[in-house]
Amino acid sequence: MNTVRQQLASPLQLVALASAGIILLPLCYVTVQALSADPVVWSRLWATRIPELLSNTVSLAAGVAVITLFLGVSTAWLVARTEFPGRRLWEGALVLPLAMPTYVLAYIYSYLLGFGGPVEHLWQLAAGPQARIFSPHSYWGATLVMALDTFPFVYLLSRSALLSMNVSFEEVARASGVSRLSTLWRVTLPLMRPSIAAGMALVVLYVVSDFGAVSLLRYQTLTYAVFQQMTGRSDNTAASILSLLLVGLALIFLITERWFRQRSRFYQTSGRYRAPQRHRYGWFGTVAVITYLGLIVGAAFAIPAALLIQWSFSPEAQSTLDGRFFGFVWNSGILAASAATAGVLIGLPLAYLASRRPTILNLGCLQAAYAGYVLPGPVAALAVLVFFSKLAPIFYGSVFILLVAYVIHFLPAGLQSLEPALQQITPNLEEVARTLGLGIRDTWRRVTLPLVRNGFVVAWVLIFLQTMKELPATLLLRPVGFDTLAIRVWMEASEEYFQLAAPSALLIVLLSLPALALLVSRDWRAV
Amino acid sequence: MSFLCVRPRLRRSIFSGLSLLFAAGLIATFYLPSATGADKLTIYSGRSERLIKPVLDAFTASTGIQIELLSSGTTELVNRLKAEGDRTSADLLITNDAGSLELARTAGLLRPLNMREIERAIPAQFRAPDNAWVGLSGRFWIVVYNTTLVKPDQVKSLLDLADPKWKDKIAIPNSGSEYLQAGVSVIRATHGDEKTRQFLQGLKTNAGGQVYQKSSQIVDAVAKGQVPLGIVNHYYVYRHLAAQPGAPVAVLMPDQQEGGMGAIMNVAGVGIVKTSKHLDSARLLVEFLVAQAGQKLFADLDKEYPLHPDVKADPALVERKSFRAAQVPLTKLAELREPTLTLIEQVGLR
Repeated sequence: MNTVRQQLASPLQLVALASAGIILLPLCYVTVQALSADPVVWSRLWATRIPELLSNTVSLAAGVAVITLFLGVSTAWLVARTEFPGRRLWEGALVLPLAMPTYVLAYIYSYLLGFGGPVEHLWQLAAGPQARIFSPHSYWGATLVMALDTFPFVYLLSRSALLSMNVSFEEVARASGVSRLSTLWRVTLPLMRPSIAAGMALVVLYVVSDFGAVSLLRYQTLTYAVFQQMTGRSDNTAASILSLLLVGLALIFLITERWFRQRSRFYQTSGRYRAPQRHRYGWFGTVAVITYLGLIVGAAFAIPAALLIQWSFSPEAQSTLDGRFFGFVWNSGILAASAATAGVLIGLPLAYLASRRPTILNLGCLQAAYAGYVLPGPVAALAVLVFFSKLAPIFYGSVFILLVAYVIHFLPAGLQSLEPALQQITPNLEEVARTLGLGIRDTWRRVTLPLVRNGFVVAWVLIFLQTMKELPATLLLRPVGFDTLAIRVWMEASEEYFQLAAPSALLIVLLSLPALALLVSRDWRAV
Repeated sequence: MSFLCVRPRLRRSIFSGLSLLFAAGLIATFYLPSATGADKLTIYSGRSERLIKPVLDAFTASTGIQIELLSSGTTELVNRLKAEGDRTSADLLITNDAGSLELARTAGLLRPLNMREIERAIPAQFRAPDNAWVGLSGRFWIVVYNTTLVKPDQVKSLLDLADPKWKDKIAIPNSGSEYLQAGVSVIRATHGDEKTRQFLQGLKTNAGGQVYQKSSQIVDAVAKGQVPLGIVNHYYVYRHLAAQPGAPVAVLMPDQQEGGMGAIMNVAGVGIVKTSKHLDSARLLVEFLVAQAGQKLFADLDKEYPLHPDVKADPALVERKSFRAAQVPLTKLAELREPTLTLIEQVGLR
């Protein structure tokens, strides 16, 4: 009893509880709305839309997962285990696609692969004037775009697994007479499994919750359908039902991944770590490796970026670079900065309490904050919308609810860097400071804060970056006069004004690059 | 030593300077727009920004009244107005569909207007009985066809498009589109639910994956020959032809045969939001839009049919007197909407 009261009394605790509440309550509201819907609506949706949407969503996720598995692991293996000219450059270049939001890549590919587009012209030179290629507005188009955009997740995690793996396992296998290929198959890949699974889980969640690419490529998934229901119907019941299914689907993916990861945990003998030897191919092999990597980076980043630059300098695009355009830049910046600041401020007490006083209540609050993981943008928007229009309509149509949606949506990304930062400092350091006579506030300022500062910076940058690129929630919740760069890209691109969309898209990509560099460079973690 | 002491302090002051700047920017962004605004109108617009902004810019140029535009889906904006209630900052609602305006009117969101200018300029069938909304420009839901792939006599009625011979040959808008909803409502009112259901089922099969978000994309696809036929509002075709003269697309005015229902008409319109605090400016804008000069902008820039009887449509368009329009009153589109949506959902249009 006493402990409970103590817990509740702490102001930090109250902040954490309030944050968890503001994240969970909207979701509960949507769930209640979906479950209390008229069974007729449910059965109608089952009879008409749900089977198609479910199978589309799952098959898109599966297709993208298979392709990213192949692309991610093969590229990681090449840069980690072979040596070729410019290897370090390629190592970095393979991450670049992460700077391209899916809607940007999607709109570039609907031009490249579109009817009468450049790729079709090339193909017709080879296969005759009547030859057609697959339409980008199809399953294959959506799969290709999403795979090119997300394979760096698998690449990054596989690469770090390969680099930190103790090479002696493989050497033992080779010494026992196992062939090189068989070693790869029976030793290396199984050891990488947890990392690969984590990478693919990221990919699948990303695909399931993507709105930008599927809306521009007109591929019907659950996320897209939620958005369509919200914008095309006068009540949100059907949208809540589809949202509930979507959240359920994402949860299933997430739980499966956790389960796999728990079953396959490996322990390495750390003492005798040695960097693995890099294999050198002959000139033919080297050319093949570079061509392969060049094709991937070209398709996923270089060609799209070149097109964006070319379009941005076209006269049509130049004429849009007026005061209005800079207003959009300012809106994007100010919204992203506010969301990032709010996210860090809200995330801090949650992460701090969970690592310092891991009571069930505190851990629960932290888990609640991770709910945003399985809330795609339109669902986050719907949740916030329903919640605020019922309970606090005064905020409806203001910047506030947009920021709440951002924080709900992107807090997990921030927590992932706040949590380890707080965990790595032992309470001893603070206790030493206290016994040496520092007050509580000074201990925070002079011991705890400097230690967690880098985690803060990374969390802030991550939320900033994701908010700046965010599309569906912004579309649904933006107040008057708050069009952002992402909105402009989508508006122009959805009417196929490719040139007009280019300057905004290019700016988003350029702004994402330094943040990306910050995230992948290991120095930041070490400092 | 002193160098080491100064740097953190300097850094801290830079940091606090930056945060101050950020806070100032925040306040400026979030609060100033509502503070200024004596001569500023906020418009929720369900029409594509490209089609409405030039007209509004002309208004700003002639009156000096600034306009803040929120472009989004029509239904979404009506939902938003309902949810925002008295607190909305919107002064006017512009939509692409009379049914949505009528729904907004019956929900009590719009303000009845007693303006002689309106009554003089816009015929009564194109506005609400109490002038809470006023039609601004007429559009017809027509068949666009690729002139190299289809002969115009192959299609007489919209209902022909459900014929299996057009399998994979039709591009249609998605079911969230208000024109499609209005069009289906008119077909229901004319032919009844059962026939409409069969039509929609055939259309769904024939369209397959060719379901588009934007009408401009449909015209584009038809012009490129990607798909021979499409259903769109007429002006998208003429806008395409104005930008690319000689493109192989043409308008087929459907349902003109003996006893046919006539072409499906809808209007884009405007209403003043009930809680508007800038009533005078808002009335000025409505006056501007219904006057001959404003009507001519819709005709010239957007290739729509002006509703003012004295303003001529663009000469490239099919002469308005040469074809019949379906006889379903615009105000009826509102009550037809819900059952239409149910039917669309039952058929499972995307």
